Amino acid sequence: MNQYLPYFTLLPLLGMAICAFLPGRSERLIFLTSVVTVGLHILAMLVYGVLWLLGQEAIYFFEGPILYQTHDSHFSIDFFFDRVTAAYGLTASVLTFLVLIFSRYYMHRDRGYKRYFTNVMFFFGGLNLALFAGNFETLFIGWEIVGVTSFFLIAYYRDRYLPVKNALKVVSLYRVADAALLLGIWLCHHSFERNIKFYELLDAHMLFTHFTENPVYVVVISSIFLLVAMVKSAQVPFSSWLPRAMEGPTTSSAIFYGSLSAHIGVFLLLRTFPIWEDSHVFRGIVVFIGLITSLMATMTARVQSTVKTQIAYSSIAQIGLMFVEVAMGWHLLLLFHFIANAFLRSYQLLVSPSVLSYEIHDQFFHFNPPKHPDPKTWWGKIRLTFMVWSIKEWNLDALMFRYLWTPLKTIGRALGFISVRAIVLLITPVFLVGLFLVYNRPQVPSLVQEVLPSAMALLGILLALKAFTERGKAQLNWSLVIMNQLFSALSIGLNEQFDHGQILLFLSGIVVSGAVGFWCMWKLERSGELVTLDRFHGHSFYYPGLAFVFMLASLGLSGFPITPTFIGEDLLLGKIGERQLVLLSFTALSLILDGLVTFRIYARLFLGPNTKGYHEVAFRSS
Amino acid sequence: MSHHTTRAVKNGFDEAVVLAELRHYLPTQTPLKDFIHHNSLHAFQELNFYDAIFKASGIFGFKVTFNLDEYRGLFHIGRIREDILDQVIGDRKGVSAIPEWKQKTLTQPYPEGIQPRIGRLRKGWKNVCQLDLDNLVQPVLFRILASYMDQGVAVWHFPFEDKGLLEALRLVDTNSFAGFFRSKRVRDILFDPQRCTMDYLLKELVGDESFYEQYIFDQQFSHRGWSGMAATLEQQPHSILYPKKITLREVIILELLLEMDALDTYFGRKWQPLCSQFAAEPLDLFAPVDNTELQEVYRIWQDAFEWSYYDEVLAALQHVKNSRTAEPRTHRHFQAIFCIDEREDSLRRHLEAMDKDGETFGCPGFFGVEFFFQPEHGKFYEKLCPAPVTPKYLIKEFGTKGHRKQELMYDKKSHTHLLGFLSTLSLGFLAVVRLFLTIFRPKMSPAISNAFAHMNVDGQLTIENKHPDDKENNLQIGFTVDEMAARVEGLLKGIGMVDDFAPLVYVVAHGSSSANNPHHGAHDCGACSGRPGSVNARVFSFMANHAKVRELLAGRGLVIPATTQFVGALHDTAADEIAFYDEKEISPANAVAHLKNKQTFEHALDMNAKERSRRFASINTKADLGKVRQAIRRRSVSLFEPRPELGHGTNALCFVGHRSLTKGLFLDRRAFMNSYDYRIDPDGKLLLGVIRPLPPVCGGINLEYYFSRLDNYKLGAGTKLPHNVMGLIGVTNSSDGDLRPGLPLQMIEVHDPVRLLILVEHDPEVVLKTIKTEPTLYEWFEKEWVQLVAIHPANNQFFRFKNGRFERYSPLKNQVKHAGDMKKLIETADGMKTNFIVDATRENLPVQVLTVED
Repeated sequence: MNQYLPYFTLLPLLGMAICAFLPGRSERLIFLTSVVTVGLHILAMLVYGVLWLLGQEAIYFFEGPILYQTHDSHFSIDFFFDRVTAAYGLTASVLTFLVLIFSRYYMHRDRGYKRYFTNVMFFFGGLNLALFAGNFETLFIGWEIVGVTSFFLIAYYRDRYLPVKNALKVVSLYRVADAALLLGIWLCHHSFERNIKFYELLDAHMLFTHFTENPVYVVVISSIFLLVAMVKSAQVPFSSWLPRAMEGPTTSSAIFYGSLSAHIGVFLLLRTFPIWEDSHVFRGIVVFIGLITSLMATMTARVQSTVKTQIAYSSIAQIGLMFVEVAMGWHLLLLFHFIANAFLRSYQLLVSPSVLSYEIHDQFFHFNPPKHPDPKTWWGKIRLTFMVWSIKEWNLDALMFRYLWTPLKTIGRALGFISVRAIVLLITPVFLVGLFLVYNRPQVPSLVQEVLPSAMALLGILLALKAFTERGKAQLNWSLVIMNQLFSALSIGLNEQFDHGQILLFLSGIVVSGAVGFWCMWKLERSGELVTLDRFHGHSFYYPGLAFVFMLASLGLSGFPITPTFIGEDLLLGKIGERQLVLLSFTALSLILDGLVTFRIYARLFLGPNTKGYHEVAFRSS
Repeated sequence: MSHHTTRAVKNGFDEAVVLAELRHYLPTQTPLKDFIHHNSLHAFQELNFYDAIFKASGIFGFKVTFNLDEYRGLFHIGRIREDILDQVIGDRKGVSAIPEWKQKTLTQPYPEGIQPRIGRLRKGWKNVCQLDLDNLVQPVLFRILASYMDQGVAVWHFPFEDKGLLEALRLVDTNSFAGFFRSKRVRDILFDPQRCTMDYLLKELVGDESFYEQYIFDQQFSHRGWSGMAATLEQQPHSILYPKKITLREVIILELLLEMDALDTYFGRKWQPLCSQFAAEPLDLFAPVDNTELQEVYRIWQDAFEWSYYDEVLAALQHVKNSRTAEPRTHRHFQAIFCIDEREDSLRRHLEAMDKDGETFGCPGFFGVEFFFQPEHGKFYEKLCPAPVTPKYLIKEFGTKGHRKQELMYDKKSHTHLLGFLSTLSLGFLAVVRLFLTIFRPKMSPAISNAFAHMNVDGQLTIENKHPDDKENNLQIGFTVDEMAARVEGLLKGIGMVDDFAPLVYVVAHGSSSANNPHHGAHDCGACSGRPGSVNARVFSFMANHAKVRELLAGRGLVIPATTQFVGALHDTAADEIAFYDEKEISPANAVAHLKNKQTFEHALDMNAKERSRRFASINTKADLGKVRQAIRRRSVSLFEPRPELGHGTNALCFVGHRSLTKGLFLDRRAFMNSYDYRIDPDGKLLLGVIRPLPPVCGGINLEYYFSRLDNYKLGAGTKLPHNVMGLIGVTNSSDGDLRPGLPLQMIEVHDPVRLLILVEHDPEVVLKTIKTEPTLYEWFEKEWVQLVAIHPANNQFFRFKNGRFERYSPLKNQVKHAGDMKKLIETADGMKTNFIVDATRENLPVQVLTVED
């Protein structure tokens, strides 16, 4: 039984690969490929589920291919199956199956038909990898795929401004969650001194003895996972991204943001529940967050004047209650609640365009002008207050902006006095000196040795921050990102344990992606196009192929699991010692920034309205 | 329109003038529950067509023609004919200039692009202050406006909507512990009537008075959807059911306040008015737009595109006229009056083919009876006549059976807290079942807009007025006998139906059922204010059957035999279903014939469904007729189908004349057809009444499709797929987006943007005299927003209207296509590969003569 687990991920990925090679106009083939794949997936899930129910074991585990192994780290793709996987997996495949059939004619003749189906299949593959993951590393890969396909489906209408803006907004938050998840994995690694597998978490005795020895870890690890879950499931204060993600076709909104994507945070909490099960304080915190979210989101849903955002907030409210259910240990109820909410919100979104005629008809026969809240009463005032706050979405969107991005931008802008060119000139000698020191470590005084890695990492971050706010030539910013990555590698190289192979592994993807990126920009410039970051250029309009290649380069450069950089990233993180919190936070920040900057460069060059030539261009506000 | 004269005098900033201008240029689309087609560039209608569109483009950045690649592509596939291109160049530039201009049109490269005037001043905030003001202001502004205008999406309504927008904000601010403004200064201004004015706020924000107008235009046109909706609701407060008091002025003041608030928050109080920060000249947005050589090339191309089609039509008409033999008068099985709607073209053709003794007529689908309708238990009235008409009559429904079912999935409880939890758990599992059924067994449900549900088939109507004092809200309930007779006479004479009445005359209205379609109103009858015309059909039939009415009519020489009965019906243009009304009234003598006619209708609908199915990817046109019909029916109730039907897509022609003009022609559902008989109207007295509604109704439809096709992003609503229903009044693309007026992509992709060609069968002299009677009517033709050709009945010659007079036109094409077998024609037609024009236009079949009829 175990050995079949990987196929639940491979099957959709295979479907996606076939879709990707089909000609864009053969709607029928694209549809058939994806629907047959997902149909088979449902059948397999059902058969597997029945056998699992009939069988003796509550869980299945399969150790997949080992991607990398040294004496202290072990990176393998593992698979795991329990009732959570069963409930999430079956819901995901049934929903995806139905939505794909729905999309067949819904998306007919859309110019991105193939892009849509390939993305949904990629998403479905990634989601299954996350759901069937047997360890955190595997989960992380799936997680990244879900995140990046979300970006592509939010920015699906890539020639308009708002989808691109909102996609960047969402992916920035996702990036924070991704980095946090990596941190969580790092902490687990250090705490358990090995790569932990999910079935091991079920060993209560092991966990108990482990955590009574390291009580701090419980709080820290769990908090980090909670943060990740809150971001991905749009809990307060991270709620505002979910309604803004409703930019793609209704079908993709239904499957992603109405249901599957939004519930993945709850899934992570279920997976990590054994870690924090015994901490009543922590469980209290989760209950609190869930309750607050469900209250605030319900009120926000009440004042929404658009159908899709109303459904989004209602979904957030129910997910808040699911947080409560996880923490209270009512997991069976939670699974039912999840299935019901996922289907209900998907359905509501799919039929949301009907609301207009239905409600107008209803109003025609039953309209009574609603009463105003009485401002003289205390309750009336409170209601009005809540209404205003809810309309303003509790300022959550502005809050995110002010506390997450503004500080970064402020630092970046503070570096405005120095030009990118000057930086490149100044920083190269520093890098070379650093490189020299890597190979001549004994000569360096020990005090310097201690701060040097952090200093290098900090330099890298400053480079990334500079790139984050720069509006000039894209090539220079691209090189800043590459240099940031090089500095990260350097800082690890200067750190105590040093492994040539791992750094090379890390850099291999960076170099290739970096070079491909430069090539794309060179091609653009040679065709007489602007390659600057001062606005969105929308080059994908005239250069869709180049846009695709550059997108791959961007993914590679930001450590997405399509190049070995990704494994290197994980391994390098593992090299950071338990006490090196400064270096760790710098490295994590640098990871976040890299992603933000590369996505920003990709978006500014290839997405948004293309105003060159005489063709239809959307208004900015539409 | 007087705004141009007022513009001439520039004495600083005049608030009232600027507001009037804004209202003139903003979109005027009403909330989506009623969809009234109109010229998207109505604001420029006083100019000549080409001057107008290039001006609109220069000011607002619309794409108003195809680009050169597209036109040249159309030329290379033969859709634009070379002989026509030569003729157009010859007409415009002189025959000697043909080689030079042909080279320009065909090969010369031009830099193409649009640099609109609008928005240039507003860019100052970004360029000078490094501040994206739109990003800071628009989300809040849209949220407030959306919540305020919302008709019932939100569970908690924005209160004090009867007090006006700003007053409501003041009341909310004083009566709660929260507000929408962060800056204390701005909040103070809100409460200070002296300072809460456009003048004061503009002084603070812009500084220099000569920039005010440009600033306001830039600001309001950065979200023309919202501003247009506010302006429309201000002028037509009854276009929504839940009244909201709002004015455009308030929206502008609110936006100015929010801008100050954002600037105060961002910079503190240390910011300067925009115009003190840079030196520039104010721009006169509405100054003339230069005529360039490229524009000339576009004009030539567009003319050639249009005439390549018109010429083919005229050639075919000539062929039909020449080969026509006088039809022997036979005993008519039935007559049927349809709406002029071009979607009825095919049904009429099939009906006549099924029963050679059937005859069809066309007239605007409200059948000349204008009234408000109140369904039983309805709390409001619905207007059932063309939008510009204000009826004085009310028809009430009573005695209905059955109630409309509720749809649980839309219950607002699922958006509440604890009840939301319970209903999620219960509805969630129901949703699984629903989702399966939705996909695999689509069927009619309360969530679907059903054309037949507009009026209850068992209900009774108060058609005859009992007493002149029987009034409700100043509307007379029902029509008196005199009023009825006048309407019946007007309609029948107008369409030339004055003798040879068949025993059964069907009055066939139309409507359209569709699922998941906020734009469903755009598929219903345009002559009934975007609603199904079933009530009108029934009302008209009642009137025409009324004994006293017939008595009066007979007195005026219009004798309807006592055996003749009028029967109302409704054709669902999406589902291809038909329902007949008041069948109980049909006399036993006519009952058998009626049964047989119903069969004929069914067969014709089968063929109609088949013909329509050729454009639908989901249906195999070659399948068994029953299956095709079933598939068409399912399509209209499928939630996953964004094209339940294709609406008025491809419309291009409008015939005013006898059916024999077009009988036997395959026009591919592109022609509006208004029956008219010049023989009973030699001096054109009736003609004016017939022609008057055509430019605004058919021309309005045509131009809305035209502009939505050419710029689906700015003038159309874009693709439907991401649409988000906003407050039940419109659609937006995202949570923070602008409202999107215009037609969605799925409705216009089959459309070839050619202006409407109205063809009138009458002496050109009479036609000219008629259209010159009313200046507003004449403007449509004079300024070339619609094209006009008169067909002289005496000699079968064509006269096209140009520069204020009619001139002889002989079609260049001397051959016509013969379609042969109708079935084969439909089955072998190609579908479009993509919806880019060069591919899309191939799907539209040429005009052809039907020789073998089905």
